Amino acid sequence: MTAIIAAIANLKGGVGKSTTTVMLADGLSYFYGLNVCVVDLDAQANSSQMLLTERGVQMAYEQGKGATHLLSSFIKGEPANVADFIMPNAVSLEELRIAEENDDRLGWISSLPSHPHLRLQEMGLEETWYSQAGTPTSLANKLAEHFKTGFDVLREYYDIILFDCPPHLSPLARAGLSLSDVFVMPTIADAVSTWGTKQFSDWVGANVAPDLPSRNFVLITRFRNTGYSKQIANELQEVYLKDRWFGPKIPESVHVLNAMERAAPDSYDTFRGKYGGVKGDVKRLSERFTDFLSQQRAGRKWQKMRD
Amino acid sequence: MAENERLDAVAYLDRFFDELRDEVRTNPKFANRLVKAMGGKVVFEDSTKTDIANPYLLAAEGNKSEFYTVFSPLKTTQLKKILKDNNLATSVDIRGKSPSQLLDMLYDRASLKVSERKSSYF
Repeated sequence: MTAIIAAIANLKGGVGKSTTTVMLADGLSYFYGLNVCVVDLDAQANSSQMLLTERGVQMAYEQGKGATHLLSSFIKGEPANVADFIMPNAVSLEELRIAEENDDRLGWISSLPSHPHLRLQEMGLEETWYSQAGTPTSLANKLAEHFKTGFDVLREYYDIILFDCPPHLSPLARAGLSLSDVFVMPTIADAVSTWGTKQFSDWVGANVAPDLPSRNFVLITRFRNTGYSKQIANELQEVYLKDRWFGPKIPESVHVLNAMERAAPDSYDTFRGKYGGVKGDVKRLSERFTDFLSQQRAGRKWQKMRD
Repeated sequence: MAENERLDAVAYLDRFFDELRDEVRTNPKFANRLVKAMGGKVVFEDSTKTDIANPYLLAAEGNKSEFYTVFSPLKTTQLKKILKDNNLATSVDIRGKSPSQLLDMLYDRASLKVSERKSSYF
């Protein structure tokens, strides 16, 4: 196994980054039996909350797990032993849990969760760094170096590592993007979000890697089936982001909202029960994303385990 | 009502309150809202609890025995409906559970969510 690292990122907030992260994690582990690790670099901790619940996020933090502890290792000058900070079970799908119980694991999700404290910790680090004549770029580069030593080891244990990035250009977001093989950019079919995709994409090309925008998978989320939305979506695909890979449009739906609320750390649901009316969308997202990955990493086969 | 019908103030009020009474009798959700708006304490009837009793509001009041008093008379199917409708459990979670287990799950999970989400400052 050599994991592909995918950053889910956009400068704009509220475009569905965390939702996309969780749908990808569920879809890839469920349909393709992949071993997925979700790394939450966003202090809002929404994808962690969706996977582990609010109680689970707090428990992880108290147990020394998560991104805050990874950042602490950087601050203290300690090795980035990423595996020590991971919650090995972030699965909420009953089918995956049963397969594991029967000692026949077919897909799994682990989590390196975030916590709201992460942003305060990052701000403290920034203050110290900048007071010593460091720059935002040098901090992001040093963080990326630190993370790389940890995640290079982790690549051997996972098929895919998803970085859920915060909606601003923090050092953590930049470090996450720097390590990524591909990036997923969720967006909404409206004018301000469309403008934001250009700004973010250009920024990634100029400040992270010039070729990263060519390894971009775009997902239109919270899609409303109106003439306006269709027109904007069409312009994105045919004009503004013409050469990017696009996933299926994810509808604005109460099913999506319900799927993202885990009732309790010991709560499980079937894939069909969890995703209800959007289960087909999550399936198509997984299919389209693995097609995209196949193009990015020639020779790698993605075989469906469930249908 | 005919436009030119002339009624005195008391007659108008009678009509208004008659309508209000009818609505309160037939629409438990409205009755619930009305009583709460007036600062009163709502007493739920078993037949309407599944539609209007909000486990989060009751858990937030912090009175466990009151919570159990409201929900314990409910049947298994009603408890399951409340758990699912309030995103407190999935079909998998409630499978094979007894009424007392469901009631405990309802209280524990609603209380946990309230404690996690309620601001500590106001």
